[in-house]
Amino acid sequence: MPPTNDPFYAGLGQALRIGTELLAALVVGGGLGWVLDAYLFASGPWGMVIGLVLGAVAGVRNAYRASQRWPKT
Amino acid sequence: MEENPLHPFELHNYISVSIGGLDISINKAVIMMWVVVALITVLMVAAASARRLVPGKLQSLAELLVDFIRAIIMDTMGKDGMRFFPLVATLFLFILFSNLLGLIPGAYTVTSQIIVTAAFAVMVYGLSLLMGFLIHGAKFLGILVPPGTPGWLLPLMVPIELISQLARPISLAVRLFANMTAGHVILGVLFGLAVSGGLLIGWLPFAFTIAMNGLELGIAFIQAYIFTVLTCVYLGDAFHLHGHEEHAH
Repeated sequence: MPPTNDPFYAGLGQALRIGTELLAALVVGGGLGWVLDAYLFASGPWGMVIGLVLGAVAGVRNAYRASQRWPKT
Repeated sequence: MEENPLHPFELHNYISVSIGGLDISINKAVIMMWVVVALITVLMVAAASARRLVPGKLQSLAELLVDFIRAIIMDTMGKDGMRFFPLVATLFLFILFSNLLGLIPGAYTVTSQIIVTAAFAVMVYGLSLLMGFLIHGAKFLGILVPPGTPGWLLPLMVPIELISQLARPISLAVRLFANMTAGHVILGVLFGLAVSGGLLIGWLPFAFTIAMNGLELGIAFIQAYIFTVLTCVYLGDAFHLHGHEEHAH
């Protein structure tokens, strides 16, 4: 019954997972930067710019990690 | 066919209930959740009531599911993860059954509401944080410092790790919600094309609808599986603290 032994579905699962992993970190990074800008420091766009860059880095790192530790494919 | 493909996801209250400003109205999603819970309970109780050495159909299905969840926990958390078995099994069964029942035409997919998936994700992530701080105390903050980081990189690595930690519940919630919603939108659009196309050309999108339904069955299972695996991984991170990366390959 579990189709997870099927390489097609295992690969599909991994692909779906890594896609959102990239996106979520970017959104969180940008969002954190924006919140710092808007509510704490009033520091123009710079918080969001730095946050987006850090978010992108974190996203790639997460995706890399996710592909490393996927159990038994 | 100018029907909005997102229309089936709108919820309308059947019975409006409000206690102290808290809106607990009964709508389609709530009823569907009850159906899912009732179905799982009936199925599992019926499967466990016979308890024969040579299992019948229902009992072997239940044993298959339990073995499957057990294998996920053992793979990701090891033996001490078994204390989370009830939580993980509940999450897996609930998500799996709501994904699968949602594929029945006319039924509602509970997991296509982001508030449902977000509640699960926040609960899982909050539990992993709580576990981490209970077991390791303040040392759990070391999860923000990957092992082997030179000191001068710390101002860069800590924000990156913080972001990647905060991204966990969001990616967990968005993944399940987005996959379920997107799948149903595609099915709805294809079926709309089939209906409006008539007999001459409508069979083509209709064939695609059938094919997509098969794929969606797989996706329903895969998404429940991914959510469960990640739940285990996050909980495992809380009490292994860096130990995970070495023996996970």
